Amino acid sequence: MKNVLMSFFAVAALIFSTTAFAQNEEGDRLIGVWEPSHGKAKVKIEKIGTKYYGKIVWLKEPIDPETNQPKVDKNNPDEKMRSTPLRGYRILKDFEYTDKDTWTEGTIYDPENGSTYSCTIKMTDDNTLDIRGYIGVSALGRTDVWKRLQMPKKKK
Amino acid sequence: MQKRIRPLLWALLVCAALPLFSQEDSTYTEEEDYSIYDNLDYADEGTKRFASAKISGISPARLISVGYDYQAGYDITAGAFDTYAAQTARVNSTQGVRIGANIPVISKNSIIVQLGGQIWDMNYDFEDDPATLNHPLLQTLQANNLTTVGLNSTIFKPLNETNFILVQVSADMNGDFSIPEFQEVNTIKNSVAAIWGKRPSDYKQWGIGISRTFRAGEMNYVPILLFNWTSPTTPWGTEILFPARGHVRYTFNRQNMAFFGFELEGNSYKLAAPYNDLQIRRSELRFRFMWQRQLVGFIWVALEAGYRINYSFNVDRVPGGKDFSRFFVLDDPFVMENALTNPLYFNLSFNLVSP
Repeated sequence: MKNVLMSFFAVAALIFSTTAFAQNEEGDRLIGVWEPSHGKAKVKIEKIGTKYYGKIVWLKEPIDPETNQPKVDKNNPDEKMRSTPLRGYRILKDFEYTDKDTWTEGTIYDPENGSTYSCTIKMTDDNTLDIRGYIGVSALGRTDVWKRLQMPKKKK
Repeated sequence: MQKRIRPLLWALLVCAALPLFSQEDSTYTEEEDYSIYDNLDYADEGTKRFASAKISGISPARLISVGYDYQAGYDITAGAFDTYAAQTARVNSTQGVRIGANIPVISKNSIIVQLGGQIWDMNYDFEDDPATLNHPLLQTLQANNLTTVGLNSTIFKPLNETNFILVQVSADMNGDFSIPEFQEVNTIKNSVAAIWGKRPSDYKQWGIGISRTFRAGEMNYVPILLFNWTSPTTPWGTEILFPARGHVRYTFNRQNMAFFGFELEGNSYKLAAPYNDLQIRRSELRFRFMWQRQLVGFIWVALEAGYRINYSFNVDRVPGGKDFSRFFVLDDPFVMENALTNPLYFNLSFNLVSP
């Protein structure tokens, strides 16, 4: 009986891990460097544990013209965060891959106004993301289209 | 055999469960060599950049707005009409609720389409005893509110990284009707504005265009100038869509802003029977100070105070709702020429602002 039980758990674990692996593989297509439509930043999406996070890795204008210092998160409603550099700042948080090329349960932070929105990511093709930030319900929101970036191809 | 398999099974279970344990995250991550991101290409070679609809520092767009508008007391002189002599009366206040919505329905880099609607109500509270109001214009304003029910759409179409086209269309039903007893469809006022613009930097956006508008009361074709600008080094900026509105903006912080400027507000209001050929060409210039700030989350409050200057409250005869423009019919006289003195006004609104 004990052997049967152990075998059952082993098979279940195998199925679970295989499914999770397939899910992981699909979900991991989100990993990479992306450019929002405004072109003012590049965002690197990576995986930490089972969730996906995106941080700013490049800024079109890295120096704040007002202070002549590297840009910081000066619009954050939390005063303690206002000296945090924008480069390296995680603006996408806690995304989980569900299915059908969609990542949900996450948030997006807009450093331009210091607001955090609920967010859904939909991959419309391998190199395009529809990032929908919204307030409460998806209808009250705005979609931004992000494009995948890659290292330049070597010239022949 | 069983003893040999058991460690293997445990290892399998542990491996399967591993992804469930997530690592700790923090908002800011440690320094890395960011220079490797300087020269990246689009993965899709054909990808184009498009001009953004917004610039840095611009005030947040209002998705839903619920407000209350109040004009303090003023005198109204209704001009001679048919057998009626001119009459002057005192209006204690003109006030009403203003509700608006503007929701993005298509939002892509290559096009943004917004749909919206508005309901405005203006109630004229006369000081004079209604029995002493002999003039039909004063009688109808005393008995009925002026109401606007409208639908609108804004389309932003970037042509490339800097150039764009902006088109706004609206259809308004205005008059002394009350909801849900609407007017005939042929009284709907259609306005349209088309702008060609440039966005040379993240801090500046300008454009020129033309509009068919009722903001001056009667139908007009007027040129438009768009100029939105934010100073990169000071708290100042401008938000101008001339002649509809123009403001200088002062940003205390991104959740707290002040504006100084004007708005040209107006429309053409159809009167009910027996005067259903008549339309009030209402237009007023509002010089104002506006302060808006975040209240909680995405709810903002806007407080507005200023001086309302009457531009037109004249009445035209518009048989069958078939409108005309004095731009083409220069000498067509008004059937009633009215005068309003100018009061202070206030407006308070609560707004759900857009991401």
